[in-house]
This record gives sequence, structure tokens and C-alpha cells, in this order.
Amino acid sequence: MTSSKGSTTGWIADIFEPVIPADGVRQGQGGEVYLPIGSTDFARTVTQLASHQFTLIGLVGIEGFGQGPGTSLLYIFEKLEHILILIADGDGTLPSIAKVFPSASWFERECRDGFGVEFKDAFDTRRLFLHETYPDNFHPLKKSFANAPITPKKDVTPADEYPFRKVSGDGVYQVPVGPVHAGIIEPGHFRFSVIGETIFNLEVRMFYKHRGIEKLAEGKETGQCLAVAEAVSGDESVANTTAFCMAAEQIAGVTVPERAWYIRTILLEMERITSHLGDQGGMLVDVGFPLGANQFSVLREDMMRQNAVFTGSRFLRGMIRIGGVVRDMPNEDLEFLASFLSMFRKRYQVGLKIVLSTTSVIDRFATTGVISRSLIQPLALSGPVARASGSTGDTRIQHPYGLYDRYRPAVRTLHDGDVLARFTVKAAEIVASLDLIEQLIKEMPAGPVVTDVAVRNGHSLALVESARGQNLCWLQVRNGRIERYKVRTASFCNWQAIGHAVLENILPDFPVINKSMNLSYAGTDL
Amino acid sequence: MVNALSCFIKKKLTEDEPIRDDDVERIGREIHAEVDAIFGRSLAIRELDTGSDNATEIEINNLTNPYYDAERFGITFVASPRHADVLLVTGAVTHNMAIAAKKTYDAMPAPKFVVAVGDEACTGGIFAGTYAVMGGVDKILPVDMKIPGNPPTPAEILAGLSALMKKARQN
Repeated sequence: MTSSKGSTTGWIADIFEPVIPADGVRQGQGGEVYLPIGSTDFARTVTQLASHQFTLIGLVGIEGFGQGPGTSLLYIFEKLEHILILIADGDGTLPSIAKVFPSASWFERECRDGFGVEFKDAFDTRRLFLHETYPDNFHPLKKSFANAPITPKKDVTPADEYPFRKVSGDGVYQVPVGPVHAGIIEPGHFRFSVIGETIFNLEVRMFYKHRGIEKLAEGKETGQCLAVAEAVSGDESVANTTAFCMAAEQIAGVTVPERAWYIRTILLEMERITSHLGDQGGMLVDVGFPLGANQFSVLREDMMRQNAVFTGSRFLRGMIRIGGVVRDMPNEDLEFLASFLSMFRKRYQVGLKIVLSTTSVIDRFATTGVISRSLIQPLALSGPVARASGSTGDTRIQHPYGLYDRYRPAVRTLHDGDVLARFTVKAAEIVASLDLIEQLIKEMPAGPVVTDVAVRNGHSLALVESARGQNLCWLQVRNGRIERYKVRTASFCNWQAIGHAVLENILPDFPVINKSMNLSYAGTDL
Repeated sequence: MVNALSCFIKKKLTEDEPIRDDDVERIGREIHAEVDAIFGRSLAIRELDTGSDNATEIEINNLTNPYYDAERFGITFVASPRHADVLLVTGAVTHNMAIAAKKTYDAMPAPKFVVAVGDEACTGGIFAGTYAVMGGVDKILPVDMKIPGNPPTPAEILAGLSALMKKARQN
């Protein structure tokens, strides 16, 4: 699995020599490269990475990772197939890098809440996932805090209230929306500043659903943590448990049997199809086209029922385990799945034709909610959101895991960056996933579906491409128990693009823009 | 006259409805009868997510797809708690949602009912006893009915609503 990432770390020297000595480089168990960096070299190194078009895809805070008990910060950078992790001391001397890598803003705020780490010259020091009722100086991810119920503040005074960005001027007024929305959706607060109907500014406040996923995992045995990984985001259950298991397997140094990867890959792609169908139906609801919406919602229900027939869960839950999959799939189940998908494909094409030949739908989709390509790298956007705006990035291609180096999915890139492009990219991805599953069923080898996994200490990074984009899992195991479980779903980064996507659009188009980006609140809030 | 005649002869434009489950139809008829009798033919439901993993929302949303089409049974999902008879709550109650959840409940006119949907809403599930959640919905609101599941299926949610109707009639 790590072969495509290369065994040499020569590219590091190409970037840093002779500016910064790149000694101390070490390759991790998932192929990622770790580089400890002192605070004096930190700013220069980050600038160097920015000039080489690296993307900051994650920031992991962790205590006791370095020499002492203090907090270390692991900055995870990506460029094409390379992953570089800078290890720095979170002792308060590091500068904020949000001006160089805007994706760092939420990452740093997350670390400040979790560990109490300060970043010098940070322009946004508001709390992120700890809202008003959390006590002051409370940092739940510190090891000194044992996970137990806390007493929240009783009253929220106006001084405690979250200070939103102020936008003022002639004719500007504010529209606060949420956290409880009109539809059956998850909670989040949107603060619109509008002039007439046109959106002038949008600030998103999330983390209403902060459930303490990462802390919950700590101290558990890895095998007990699958339900926690599934609970990150319901419709990404397979992707997040696969990422978690990959990290655990890399730490243990085991190779998952081939047939297990065939089953896992089928499940991952079924999950992608199910998720994309929901978005497509939702986008059509939001432009008032029930004829099309019902085509997709019927197909989605069919898919969810097929999920249940195949695995016993409409959300494909309970199938992935460390070392493989929970049970083998009998060949007749696979044949049934293949025949279902072949019927499904024909009906999907019918639904798609209805939608794409309806001018009123195209009129609402085209040029709405444009996300500029120039946002992809600064905000670490991924998934269909990025691929509809000109990105060719796909974790399955860049960091192939399991079977994806042999079964490369067709990646569709469009350049308009609007709702229509996102709809079309998702349609192409559904067809590509159908192709992939059919091929996997045809070529699936016989053999075991699970291997024994011995407990070993270590840490590792795993990346998967969920339906929404790149999901990241960084795991550390110590004495057989989880020391740190860091999840960063694609939605965490993609949410930060919505404030850009809605600008100059009218407020009534917000629902369809939001749906087209398919952002998970649960996966962001953790 | 010719046009009117041709309407009868021409192939119908609408499609046959998808095959429906007998169970769902039976539960739906029960709900319909109860809603007619107790709620004046319309049961208005407001959904509230206090910290779910989004799977339960997906299943509640699925109640409106053509397979279930729950509106046939007199159930409507409404946009405002001020229009709602029933609050359908999903997820363990997070500290960050507690205030909004209480405000939502307070905005509903009496008589009102609270239904906890999914394991986490019922008991706190895997999050019970941790720093970020208060526990199940009954920690902050009076719960009239619990529908367990991870997540419960649309049919199970309908069955739970049917049980709520029967309970409401008894009171």
C-alpha cells in the first residue's frame, strides 16, 4: 500500500536544501514523512512550503509526543502524492500561519480550544468548538482532564456572546439563520449580511453538535473504537471506519487480505453512490423540481434497501473491522448486487436525462454558487466541491489505498465551479463507482477476509476519499490503547468555502448552494 | 370533445407508484386514524437535531420519499416549532445545543409531545457520561416516547409515532 508513496525521502531535500537542514527526517508507517522543526526555523519552513504549493490539510495537537509532557503540534502538508508532517512544540512561541495557509485558521482555533495552545499574532482568537456555556480555561483534549460530565455556565451574558464579523453600510441588514433550521437538517448558524436579496457577507458558525468524538476514543482499545469512528458522520460510516482501520493496521504492520479489500472497496463505492444520490435529490428539491427530485429519492431508497440486503445496515455499518471485514460476502449476494446495480444504472440514466433536459433546472444551477479554483489550495478543499472547480485531486489516485492503485476510478474534473458543475461531477462519479463495483465483483479473488492483528505501539496517518472528499485520520496507540485519535473530514475544510460560494448570489439560492456542497455538520463538529 | 376523448384513450403520463411495504401501509393507516381522531386530521412535526451523527436525519427525511410518503397519513413536517404538535429530537444533547433546544421546545404551543429518535437521543448512547453532552433528551425535556435504533429505520420511526398517538389518546 505504501509502494506508490515511494521509499525515498529525497524530495524533502529538494525542497529545503540549502535553506533549512532537513535532517531528522523519518518516514512514518503510512508513508508520511515526519520532520521535527525548531521554532526558529518554523516560519521560514512554512513559507518555503507555501512557495512549493503545499496544502495544509491538517493540524494535530498531542501531549507527550515529544521529549517532555508538553503539547506537540503536527502540521500535515500535502502536495500531490507527498505528505510532510512538521513536528513543532506548541509552547506558545509558534506564530499563527493562517495568513500563509488560510486553512490553518480553524485548525489553530481547534487546537487552542482543545489544548490551550496560543499562536502568536493570530487574527482570529475566538473559541471554535467550545461555545459560550463551556467554562473558561477548559481544554478537554489535555490529558490532565479525565473525560467526565462537566458543569456548564448557567447564564450567558451578552459579553459572552460570540462576536460575529460586523458588516455595515447603507442598506445592509443581517439575516440570522439557525442553529435550528426550517428543514430536517443538522444545526449550524449562518449570519448573512444582505443588500436587498443579494448576499454581501456570510459568516458560518458551527460546532453546535460537538460531541467530543476524539476524547471519547482515548483510552479505548482500537477494536472498541469502530462505533466511535462510525459516529463521526452517519453517511460516511464506511469511509471513516476504513480510515481508522487503515491507521490501526499500519501501526500493527499487518497486510489486510486481498478479498477483504475487494469487499471494503465495494462498500466505499456503495456509500459514495448513496451519498451523491441524496445530494442530487436535495438539490432538485431546493430548486422546486419534485419530478426530478423524486426520481433520485426513489433511487436512493432503493440503494439504501440494497445496502441493508447486502450488509444488514442501510448505512453499511458494522462491516469494517481492523484486519479486514466482519464477514465474507457469499458469491450469490455479490451476483445479486451486480444485477441490482445493472438495473439501477439504467434507471439512474433516465432520471439524469429528465433533469439535464429541463431548462428551468439548468437555469437555477448554472452560474449559481461559484467556487473559484484559487480557493482550493488555500482552504484545502477536496472532493466533488474541488473537482467541480478545476481540481484533479482525488485521494484514491494520489494516495491509493487498498485496491485503488490497480482499480483507478475515472476522475471527472469540471471548471465552472457552480452548482451545475457539482451536480454533473457527482453524476459522473456515480457512474464511475458503478463501473468500479461491477469490475470488482467480476474479478474478486477467493480467500480469507480477515487477518489477526497484534497490538503494537505507534502512530500513523491514513487518508481516504469519502463521498465528500478527503478524510484524514491520525492515530496513536500506546500500550494497546488509543492515545490520540484525530479526525478531519472533508467537510471541516469545505465548510470554509461556502462563505465565498454565496457571495453575490441571492438569499433564496443559499439552500441549493449548501446542498450542492453537501457539507456534514456532524463530521465537522465532532 | 375530441380532446377530451383522447385523454381517456392516451397512455397515462403518470407512472405506477413504487411497490410499498405492507407493514408501512398498516402502520400508516393506524396513524391516520389516530391523527384524524385526536389531532384534527393533521399532525405537525418539528425535527430538532441536538447532536446526532446525521444518519437519523437521513431516515426522517426518507419518510417523505415516495416509498413512505408520510404526508398521506396526516403527518406534516413543519418549518417552525410554533406550528408543531410533536418535537422529534435526534442525538445526545450537546452543551452547545442545549439552549437552542430548550428555546425550540418553549416556542411550541401546548399540548405538545417530545419523541427521542435514535439510541443517542434515548440514552446518550456511546456519548453518555462524557464532557460534551448532557445525555439523552430526557435530561432537558419531558420525553413522551423513545424510538431506539442506530439509526431506527423509517418504518420503525412510523411505528414509534403510532405508539405515541395511542398513548396520547389514553391521556
